[in-house]
Amino acid sequence: MTLHSLQETASVAEPPALAPVGRGVSSPVPADDAIPLTLRGVHKRWHKSQAPVLEGLDLTLDLGTTTWVGGRNGAGKTTLLRIAAGLIDPDRGRAQVWGFTAAENRARYQQLLSFLPAGDRGLYARLTVRRQLRFWAHIAMLEPAQVKTRVEETIGAFDLEELADRRVDRISMGQRQRVRIAMTFLARPEVVLLDEPLTSLDAEGAEILERAIAELMARQGTLLWCSPSGESLDRHFDARWVLSDGRLVEA
Amino acid sequence: MIDLRRSGLAFGAVMRRDLHVFLSYRTRIVSQVLTSVFSLTLFYYVSRLVHVSGFPSPASYFGFVVVGIALVSVLYSCFSISEMVRQELVAGTFERLLLSPFGAIRSVLAMTLFPLLYAFLLAAITLGLGCAVFGLQLHWSTVPLSVPAMALALFSFLPFGLLFAALTVATKQGSVGTSWVIALISIVGGLYFPISLLPEWAQTASELQPFTPATELLRHLLVDSPLHTSTVTAIAKLIGFAAVLLPASLFALHHAIRVGQRRGTIIEY
Repeated sequence: MTLHSLQETASVAEPPALAPVGRGVSSPVPADDAIPLTLRGVHKRWHKSQAPVLEGLDLTLDLGTTTWVGGRNGAGKTTLLRIAAGLIDPDRGRAQVWGFTAAENRARYQQLLSFLPAGDRGLYARLTVRRQLRFWAHIAMLEPAQVKTRVEETIGAFDLEELADRRVDRISMGQRQRVRIAMTFLARPEVVLLDEPLTSLDAEGAEILERAIAELMARQGTLLWCSPSGESLDRHFDARWVLSDGRLVEA
Repeated sequence: MIDLRRSGLAFGAVMRRDLHVFLSYRTRIVSQVLTSVFSLTLFYYVSRLVHVSGFPSPASYFGFVVVGIALVSVLYSCFSISEMVRQELVAGTFERLLLSPFGAIRSVLAMTLFPLLYAFLLAAITLGLGCAVFGLQLHWSTVPLSVPAMALALFSFLPFGLLFAALTVATKQGSVGTSWVIALISIVGGLYFPISLLPEWAQTASELQPFTPATELLRHLLVDSPLHTSTVTAIAKLIGFAAVLLPASLFALHHAIRVGQRRGTIIEY
């Protein structure tokens, strides 16, 4: 979906017409409703006796950019993504997609944004890959006429043809991860959040993920990728941050 | 309108998912039909062994109890929602549903469809076996009316399942209490014996839940048991329970999810 088509469909916060911006280059102080994803003054503390995991965190993801956030284990990367995805609430601050929060319009927020959690959960073990994708396409409230086509396109794009009619509990961990990534990109979201997406992926799987990200960038989407600092990532990001003591510092 | 159509298709997708998962466990329906057969056999001989006061013949008590057995499977289906929600939490699919445009509340509501339709089928099988094997006499002229009556009963039972689903979201172990709640309901709802045998205070308590009027109404329509109140009163009670309890249980589920999101416990399982 291009910015123009997004303007036609957005029901709550229509992004204003922006002059095209280069990758990683922000237009001068745009309003939040002109930005795909913003986090403003986000605080989160899991327990009173513990230090806050996020402390006044600010993050802006511009149109058509890729951003990496790293940090040691337990630094709060997953918490950051969960708040950005609208899964959990921050104690203070807010996460917004095109200027509105999940609480203001959850359905629209979830239409625009997709989140791949870390790990291998989020699949129905007894369903085949094709049925899994078709199920999530309906849950994503895709245009009914598009469901079948989109599912078959996704099966093709993620090289899942051989697995399509196999049950998820009968495929390998790497293949499951490929299915999970396919589910994340299935509804063609504007903003994609990935938490350790390379887990269990082989070189071929990583290449498929790169193709999906390239397609996202081609339609001016926005990507936030979180993974531990030590992980070797030889891909280009428009911005790199490290989460430390609840705040982001430039990597 | 567009949203309604897409919602309808999403409800259908959840139902198909549950059907496919159910069919992937090939022996499940056999085991449940066998349970019905053995329950029917047990009560068939109990009805012939013991003279139950208030029943003119062993066959009339057997007819009474067969409807109760059929309703127990419906009750189990209503309460199975909490276990389904727990499985979704453990599998990590609940958070995906929550992060979908369809949303968690509609997803949980959709999860009730397959178990309830399946319970309808099991109830029909139980009654069919009662007729074919044990000579149960159905009151055929009013049997078709039992279908809308059962649907109404389900609307009044469903809030209990949704409340347990909310409890599961809040405590991650809501299904623990379902067995004893079903046992309690089967006593105060008069599923196996008339509530007139209960102490007076228990009879009063049985009026405060929808299972008693639903059971009485269905017995009246299926095996022509006498109603203690008029048909209209029984229907009005069921509508009243559904009208009050359904919004309350949906609010409880919404509240449990929002509290989980605020505290961050929605990700726990």
